Formats: sequence, structure tokens, C-alpha cells
Amino acid sequence: MAERICRALRDGALEGEHAPALTIKDSIQSPFGSLVFNHVLSQLSSFIVAQKSQSQGIVLVAFSRGPLYYEELFKSKGNDVASSNKWIRVLDCCTDPLGWRSKLMESGRIANLTLGTSTTASLYKNVKDLDKLLLAITELGKELVGDGKGRFVVAIDSVSEMLRHTSISSVAGLLSNLRSHDQVSCLFWLLHSDIHETKAIAALEYLSSMQVSAEPITRPVNGQRGNSVKLPFLEQNLRGGKIHVRFKRRNGRVRLMSEEFCIEQSGIKFTPISSEAEMIAQSLVPKVQFNLQLSEKERNDRAKVVLPFEHQGNGKTIQIYDGRKSLNEDKPEMQYTSAEKVQTVKDSGRGEIIYFRDSDDEMPDSDEDPDDDLDI
Amino acid sequence: MAGNKPRGSSFSRNFSATSNTISQIPGLKHGPNGTMFLSSGIPDLDKILGGGFTLGSLVMVMEDPEAPHHMLLIRNFMSQGLVHKQPLLYASPAKDPRGFLGTLPSPMFSKDEKSRDRDAEQEKGLRIAWQYKKYFGEQNSELLRDGKSEYCNDFDLRKPLERHFYSGQQTDCISLQDSADLTTFHDRCSSFLSQTPRNDRNITCAGRIAIQSLSAPQCDFSDKECDMLSFIRSLKSTIRSSNAVAVITFPPSLVSPAFSKRLQHLADTLVSVKAIPDEDKELAKLLTGYQDMVGLLSVHKVARINTQVPTILEATTFSMKLRKRRSLILECLNQAPVDGSTGSSYASSSSCSGSSKTGAIDF
Repeated sequence: MAERICRALRDGALEGEHAPALTIKDSIQSPFGSLVFNHVLSQLSSFIVAQKSQSQGIVLVAFSRGPLYYEELFKSKGNDVASSNKWIRVLDCCTDPLGWRSKLMESGRIANLTLGTSTTASLYKNVKDLDKLLLAITELGKELVGDGKGRFVVAIDSVSEMLRHTSISSVAGLLSNLRSHDQVSCLFWLLHSDIHETKAIAALEYLSSMQVSAEPITRPVNGQRGNSVKLPFLEQNLRGGKIHVRFKRRNGRVRLMSEEFCIEQSGIKFTPISSEAEMIAQSLVPKVQFNLQLSEKERNDRAKVVLPFEHQGNGKTIQIYDGRKSLNEDKPEMQYTSAEKVQTVKDSGRGEIIYFRDSDDEMPDSDEDPDDDLDI
Repeated sequence: MAGNKPRGSSFSRNFSATSNTISQIPGLKHGPNGTMFLSSGIPDLDKILGGGFTLGSLVMVMEDPEAPHHMLLIRNFMSQGLVHKQPLLYASPAKDPRGFLGTLPSPMFSKDEKSRDRDAEQEKGLRIAWQYKKYFGEQNSELLRDGKSEYCNDFDLRKPLERHFYSGQQTDCISLQDSADLTTFHDRCSSFLSQTPRNDRNITCAGRIAIQSLSAPQCDFSDKECDMLSFIRSLKSTIRSSNAVAVITFPPSLVSPAFSKRLQHLADTLVSVKAIPDEDKELAKLLTGYQDMVGLLSVHKVARINTQVPTILEATTFSMKLRKRRSLILECLNQAPVDGSTGSSYASSSSCSGSSKTGAIDF
């Protein structure tokens, strides 16, 4: 599924559409975002070298790690460094982001620094001005792929570093302008989510079409404190973790996927999730209060219910309420005192109702409660 | 209950000579309480709202950051205005908003759709009780229409709108990224609205304003919430005194909850869209027709101008589907009965009847 993301980036943007944008998030509990970034970068570079992708080059905006690091990275992955200036340009915002070094060198304070020069890297000294940065990126891209129909990938090493220098709205402006640029095929960036405000993170998620967040495999339970409990978790989390992917599809649906990863000598390795998938049932739709199925217990209980009209006839005489409210209390008395009335009832046995109204002024049926027939 | 038709009162407006001119203007129709409607571009949404968007009202759409469904609403709204030759002002945070006009859908003409014919045929088999025949008659007159003078067109999302619709002077596009604050934009809106003032004389045409993603992060003013609020407040008051409708979309997840609540209260008609997860087995069991759905639309508030009586809808959540991948339809949610022991309800009610578009006759 990490492969799926790389393929989506490789396929790039359709005509007239914004370029797909990937946010790679991590946090202190699972600080492997940069490894995921390297993985995506090397995958894309191999696609580009093999000419299987929409884009023909990568412009890497390096804020947190210098161009030499990336040279080493590409060498270790087996990419030919010599020919790398055909498909990659590095905009070096790491060595001298605010131009202080060059100012100091001009004034003679420090000795002239000879950086390991590489043909692919160009120094950028003004990270506070994002308009110029946009211009620099697009110029580098045009250098790589020419002015016509060629497209290039933009990789930003760490948007967190950018946010140190400028506001979220200018960063968001830069990213959205890159997305809508005709020659950008896709872009991806790294973000450390726990050092920014939620508003900034929400804004970056708004701008991206795919999000990968690296999370630890197990989170320590809140109630437990003390190092003795945390150490096993830490160890486990340092060796691997999970990535959760949110994929915004073109038809407007969101696909959620997860995978596990582990850190090895050669880098990062992804495996499909082994443990039980935790499905979080989101209630988007109203819950309806119908339940048409009966559980076993409910079925038994239903069989046990005796219906109201079934009560009578268990040996007792069937008594039909005849409008006199004091039935139960006067029961012993009835047998002695109102013998005549009872006799008439008894004589007829069943089916005769003699009803004595309290008064003739009352509306008919006002003192009758049909529910009194029920023997519940 | 007469479904989504406006509830008639004992008094009815006496439409005299002026009424002829109104019915001749395409795209406008009379509503209850002396208001007038213009179409949203989506026939189902017009039915749900009781006729369309009220002239002089502010419509707000709450976006979902994970899905572009608000674009469907804006596109249909703008296309409808262009087809009816109504002046249009469009603002978005993109650097080149004119490019968006090329993605607007084109209207489908009646020979393409069979559904309306089907409805008419079904009704022939019904025997209507005499006292309800008067409602039936009104419905019929809405159905019989030609392509050009239809109040609400069905739009084909796959076919782009022809250039001649939007290349005129009446269409204006503004980029929200350019201005550091909202004053210039506000001035542009005011001058646009002065083209369609409301006065006692007959109205000639209605205007439309579409603002997409007002508080998008790339705009410089997106953290100046007071400025945005005062802009919207003054826009609302200007709109009230003009014959126009403004549709504004904003992402509530990117602004503070207090600001989002204030915007929701400022709106006359409030609608929100929501994304649905893909290949979710739980939802597939819960909802019939899940495969075709692209999202959910909820109507929270319906504009009631000149009246104190609120509109209470039968259902507030609808599923958005693309019929033949071309036109947007809204359907009531059809749910399988489930154990409802947990969970708060998202909407007040949902229809349990079989698949239904809001039917032609609702009693």
C-alpha cells in the first residue's frame, strides 16, 4: 500500500487538475517520517530513471538535510550519481537559509567555505521570501524538463522547517501555487505534527490529497507511569510502527488504509498489517431504532410470556369486572352479604353480566375501564 | 402534508399585471410571502428548499476538507446563472480563477432525459381525489417546458459549458489571494450588487455571487477572523437590498469553532457536505445504494424571508449520487434497520420508504 501511494504519485496529475500532494506526518512517538520520505523519494527516482512516470525530474527543496546527504542516499540505493544531474536538482535551503554565512564571509569574519560542490545543488539564501522560493523552484524545474510539456516532481524536505521562518498562510499559498502549476506532476512533503498548531496541520491536510502518518504500534496506556512500563513500548516503537493512509479519491470518497513497517539496515520495509484491524465505526448516518432480530434469550422470554386473557382459568373462577371498584377488598364479604346478587351470577354459571350503575346521570361507559378485564 | 411545497396561507398575493413580466424572465419565479426564487442548478435541491434560493439571501456551504463536493454545488449554481444570462461574480483563492469557468457543466436538454417523461406517465395511472387535483395541476405546469426557458436545468457534469456563455462582460472573476485584506473585494462586490438593486419597479434580472473557500489557508486574511466577519455582515446587508443571491463556501475545520458558529448563524440557508469512506463494509450494510454514493449533503437551515414560520424538513440528510456519472441527484437516505442501541442521531429523521426521489406528489 505504500506502493500504491508511490504509484499514485508516479501517475501524477490529469490535465486541468491539481497535482496530487502527499503529506508525510510523524511525531516523537514514531519519528520515522524522514525514512518514509526517503523511501518515497527513492521509489520515485527509480521510476523516473526507468522513464515509467509522468514526470521527468525531481526538484528537491532541502531544508533539514543538505545535498550531500541526498547524494549518499542515492548512491546507497544504487542510482547512478554521475547522471543524476539529468533528473534531479536540489535547492539547498539547509546550508545557509537566511544568508548569514555569506554575509559573514563577505565581511571577512569567517574563512571562505568550500562546500562539496555538486552540480545538482544550488544554494538558496532567502527562505523568508516564499515568492522568490516559488520562482526558484519553478526555474529549476524548467531547467530540468524544458519549457514545454515536461513535468517535474517537487519534494520538500521538511515543511516544519519552512513554518519556522514564515507563516502558515504563505506556506499554504506556495503549496497551492505549486499544485496548480502546469508543469508540476506531483508534490510531497514531510511534517512533524507535534510541533505545530492544529490549525497549521489542518491547513496542510486541507491542501493535500493523500496523508501518511507514522504511528507507534502500541501506545502506552495513560494510567501507567514509570519507566519500567514504558521501556518495552519504546523499544518496540523504535524498531517499527504503523502507517495510516488517508487517500482522497477523485470521486470524493476517502479510502483509509494501514500498513506496518519495520526499520532495517537498508532502510524501511513495509508489510501488510498482521494484527486484527481496528475498525472504528463512524456514525455518519442516523441510527434507526428498529431491531428485527431476536436474540436467543429474547426468544425464550417471549415464549414464557402469558398473554393477559390466558391468565384466568387456572382453577379460579372467571370473574368479569362489573363496575364495582372495591372488588378485591370486599371479596370475603361478598360471599356473605350480597348473597342474592352473587347467587344470580353463580346460578347462571357463565356469560351473564349484571351491571349496577352508580347513577343514571353519568355518561355511559364512563366508569368502565376496558383494561380492567386484563388480569396482569 | 404537501411535501416540500410552500405551505399556502389564507392570504395569497394578488399577482396583477406585473406577474406577466416576472414569468417571462427566465430563471425567476414567485415564492411565498412576496419573495422570489432563483434556481440552484440542482433540481432536487430546489425541491428540498421549497423552490430554490430566495433572492436577497445568503447561502453558506460548509465544506469537508476531504472531498470536493462543494465544487459540485458551486459549479451547478454558476452554470445555471450563465445559462439564464444572469450577471455572475466569482471569487476563489486560486491565482487564475478564470480557468475554473472552463470546468462548468453544460445543460442537458430535455430530449436527453427520459426521467421526466416517466414521471408524467406514472401520474396518468393515478386516480387523484378531487380535492387534491388543484395541487396536481400546478406540478404539471412546471413539467411542461422547453429547454431554454426552464427554471432549473439538469447539468451534465461531463460536458463543459460553451464558451459564449461566460465570455461576456457580465461574468467577473476575482482571485482572493491577491488582496491582503478584504476591502478591495468588498468594493467589487458592492459595485456588482449595485447593478441589480431592489426597488419598486419591475425587476429586470437577478445577480449571482459565488465565493469559493472563503477562509482557505492560502489567503492572507484567513487568520483575521474579525475582518472576514465584518465583510460577510456587510455583504449580507447589501444583498438584502438587491436582487441577488450569494453562495459562499468555507471549510469549518480550518477556522476556530466560534468563527464557524458565527458564520453559520449569519447564513440564511445553511448546507453542509460530507465525505464518505470508500469500501466501508459497515456503511455498505447500513445504506442501500452505497456503491453509487459520492457523499452526503445536509440541509441545516432554509431561508425564510418576510415570515416568522420556520421550514421544517422531513429529512435533513441526503445522499449525493451521480446519475450515469453525469448529473447530480440528491436522494433521501434509505437505511436497513439496525440495532439502534448506541449513537446519537446525526439527523432528525430519515425516510424508510423505498427508493424515492422527492416525488411529484407528496401529501
